[in-house]
Amino acid sequence: MNDKRDSTFAASRGSGEIRQKRVQVGQRQKQTGNDAHARYIQVRDHSFFYGTTQVLYDLNMDIPERHVTALIGPSGCGKSTLLRNFNRMNDLIDGISHRGDILIDGRSIYDPYLEVISLRKRIGMVFQKSNPFPKSIYENIVYSLRVAGRNRRAELDETVERSLRAAALWDEVKDRLRETAFSLSGGQMQRLCIARAIANRPEILLMDEPCSALDPVATGKIEDLIHQLKEEYTIIIVTHNMQQAARVSDRTAFLYMGRLIEYNDTEKIFTNPTEEQTEAYVSGRFG
Amino acid sequence: MTKQPPAKAIPERFIVRPATLWFDRFMNYFITVGGLSIIIAVSLIFVFILLQVLPLFRGAQVEPQDSFSVPQDDYVVMGTDEWAELPFFVNRRGELTFLDTVDPGGPHHRTAFTRAPAWLDETDVGVVVYNPLLSQLVYGTADGRFAILDVQYEATFPERGGREVSVELQETPLLSIGSTEVPVQHLAYGSSGTQAIVVVIQQVNERFEMHAVSLVQQRTLLGDGQWSVSQSYDLSEHLDAAPRHLLVPSDADAVLIGMDDGRVLFLHFDGQEFRKRQMFVPFRDRADRAIASMNFLLGDVSLVFTASCGANRIFSLYRDPQREVRVWGHTKTFPDLERGASFYSAAMRNKAFLIGDGRAASLRYGTTESIRWQDELPFSVSLAAIGPRYDRMLFLDDGHTLHSYRLDDPHPQASWRTFFGRIQYEGQAAPEFAWQSTGGRDDFERKLSLIPLIIGTLKGTFYAMIFALPIALLAAIYTSQFLRPGIKRFVKPVMEIMASLPSVVLGFLAALWLAPIISNAVPSVLLAVIAIVVAALVVGYLWGLLPQRIRVRLKPGYEFLAFVPVLLLVGYAGWQLGFVVERTFFIVPGESTGMQIADFRLWFPQATGLSFEQRNAFVVGFVMGFAVIPIIFTITEDALSNVPEAFRSGSLALGASRWQTAIRIVLPTASAGIFSAIMIGLGRAVGETMIVVMATGNTPVTEFNPFTGMRTLSANIAVELPEAPYLGTLYRTLFLGALVLFLMTFLVNTIAEILRQRLREKYRAVE
Repeated sequence: MNDKRDSTFAASRGSGEIRQKRVQVGQRQKQTGNDAHARYIQVRDHSFFYGTTQVLYDLNMDIPERHVTALIGPSGCGKSTLLRNFNRMNDLIDGISHRGDILIDGRSIYDPYLEVISLRKRIGMVFQKSNPFPKSIYENIVYSLRVAGRNRRAELDETVERSLRAAALWDEVKDRLRETAFSLSGGQMQRLCIARAIANRPEILLMDEPCSALDPVATGKIEDLIHQLKEEYTIIIVTHNMQQAARVSDRTAFLYMGRLIEYNDTEKIFTNPTEEQTEAYVSGRFG
Repeated sequence: MTKQPPAKAIPERFIVRPATLWFDRFMNYFITVGGLSIIIAVSLIFVFILLQVLPLFRGAQVEPQDSFSVPQDDYVVMGTDEWAELPFFVNRRGELTFLDTVDPGGPHHRTAFTRAPAWLDETDVGVVVYNPLLSQLVYGTADGRFAILDVQYEATFPERGGREVSVELQETPLLSIGSTEVPVQHLAYGSSGTQAIVVVIQQVNERFEMHAVSLVQQRTLLGDGQWSVSQSYDLSEHLDAAPRHLLVPSDADAVLIGMDDGRVLFLHFDGQEFRKRQMFVPFRDRADRAIASMNFLLGDVSLVFTASCGANRIFSLYRDPQREVRVWGHTKTFPDLERGASFYSAAMRNKAFLIGDGRAASLRYGTTESIRWQDELPFSVSLAAIGPRYDRMLFLDDGHTLHSYRLDDPHPQASWRTFFGRIQYEGQAAPEFAWQSTGGRDDFERKLSLIPLIIGTLKGTFYAMIFALPIALLAAIYTSQFLRPGIKRFVKPVMEIMASLPSVVLGFLAALWLAPIISNAVPSVLLAVIAIVVAALVVGYLWGLLPQRIRVRLKPGYEFLAFVPVLLLVGYAGWQLGFVVERTFFIVPGESTGMQIADFRLWFPQATGLSFEQRNAFVVGFVMGFAVIPIIFTITEDALSNVPEAFRSGSLALGASRWQTAIRIVLPTASAGIFSAIMIGLGRAVGETMIVVMATGNTPVTEFNPFTGMRTLSANIAVELPEAPYLGTLYRTLFLGALVLFLMTFLVNTIAEILRQRLREKYRAVE
């Protein structure tokens, strides 16, 4: 399995470096053990319904800060729903309801005193299909600042450069910031969306299959990026790609039919899962 | 060529059925042909309209048809029957010579025959004038009397076909006027049916005398009886120069005397006495002021003057705003003739006149200042006449040959100026755009300017759009971006049903139900609208200030439950307050009683000088708005809903509010579709007919006052087409209106389409 991963990865640069980093982070996680960092996001008895259809069943999981947590599972297992619950994007859908709670930094996201908008400012999101706005590259990135009423030129310029550098896109687009975002390639667009998501310096980054529409080279770049970003952000990533989950994440949660089957360190999940179902899924026997 | 391996037989399951191929090919052609024929059909409609319109801009066609020789004599008057088959000529002695132009040398052998009034043995003739409209000759005798001779043409249509025109003369006895035994030099006669006056000018010992008589007709049970003099007037005191021209209009309410020195004296007759009303000089600015000719145009409210130098002008009666009476004023100027006119004939169906001198003849149109036809004739003209049907011109040359010219000029009034320019019509103090295609009299001057109709179209569209646009767009944004999908599923079809309401129903409601209500409560309507808009903003702001504890009780998408009752209440309050405001501010003194009346309808015209009508643009805008709102709403809503969900989610996930998402992301992305929606709505408003026909007074005004009506191009076609004779000027003018409408919408649509493509390119979502 490792071989296969490496062969896929050969196209991208610096794969050795990445593996090293993960080991380091793993160590850090062991050090921080059970403290607040490890329980940065707490999912407590969380059930979720579309109308009368239950899609999530009493989930419980703690997501550590500044780590990459992957959500895997076959289509329809509820992993995207769970992801979209973290920033309450599911609110847009009619007839939803939930039970249980999700706490971020000890505070419920369903707290009626919490503005959804401020919750979403705190949690960036990258979607499956890159969705730059029909605006210039520059305006795409500063969008979150503009809607917050921050229009100071210097701050905007600074943000654009910082975000694009963080998304490893600066060198490629710095001369055409005023061009429409649609002039970028598919991989560039997705990185632009990541740059946009981190422009307002959120704490958490949600990624919903960010590489599913990209070719291997672009995928490699994004995965590199994820590795860099987790220094600063808590990342939760939904992916269908087992190798990707293995490559980028520190912790992996396997969901099946709306239930959390297994949630553990990534290495454990992929090498020695506790549950039979997890074993079957990660080895590709079903799903 | 390389050697091909032998082809294997294709298994049957891979063979395409010929029918499939055939059908595919057929449908290919069918769809191509269908598409092309639609384009061709639309083009043909355009071509058809264009073909209907083009003849309007054709000049008059004149060609010589016939010539007849007339017995040698010195003729002073020429007249003709309706078909110019039996024209007559009057010589200086007062004898009439009729010339049969149809059947010369035929079975009747009456190529020319002569008639004369019976009293001609008694006295000689001093002057004779002819009124072609009344078909009456008026004689002034050498002994100071006058007599009227009716030339009564009669046409019979024998069974063998064709037409036979015969003539009968009916004469009145000689009546005395002015100084007896002095020859009459100038004579004019006008009869309105109830009132008639005859004016004569005589020269008595180097001094000019002017006398007038008013005539009454004895009416008996057996019909009209004889005219007799009821009163005589001596008007000599008004003559301070040698008179050259004398005219009395057919209304018999005035006398016009053109003097030797270029002045024209206008005496008004009110039925009792003559009063001097005006003295004017038609050619004040010319070196030679002498008036060479002075004649009436059809209707006798316009005077065609020529100066000796050839200048040609029209003066018309109009109401002088200062004096509050009708006076003559210079309204039209034509290109100069070479010399003053020696012959003149006014058309009896329109405002055309035939004028000229010697060989030069010119057919001109009074209303439009245009020359319909002009030519150098191969003979010198002594008398001319336009056929009563405006299909013929007759010229008598000085060699006593009558030349008959065919005149083909079906649309003499049509010109760019008529349709799009300002024209000073008879009776008006200034040039203006006016539409009035029919009037109560035969001599009515048609006003065919399309400008009031274009303005009316724009006005109706404007008021409909300022009402419909904000509501439709905001409603669409609200429905697509804020409303719960469950409620949206119900709202949208309801709006679409609204779009299917027949406009005649809306027009009916507007005219009979809404217009009276609104006109009774204009301040209330305005206040209610303002109150609702202001309240919406205020309530929205206050809502944001409410503690979140209360706000969270309303789920996003259900805010309207709190909003609507408030708005309804505020709207009602505004409505009621309107009456209070009206009682307080819009007070005018009543016209008859002098009491203070609180009524906006009376106050508005007094305060602004504009008029107030019950069926006005306000009502039309409101009701046409209702016809337009569903269209704009539906298409806009579709465009907004079709914005990829990814954009919305992307924006919301970045911490934008729903409103920010709608305004910054969704609206620009959907702008091309919204633009189409507005344009389709605009197209509907521009072309909307029934509502405008029913809910406005169809008055073609040229103002944007919301409290007057209007007439749109489309309504004009609907209203007037039943009145327009096939292929007539009005008929073609209506088609011109259609063409203008077509071009207007074509232009708007083209610009809109170009802009839309640009927007679409700019906000194209990547797939």
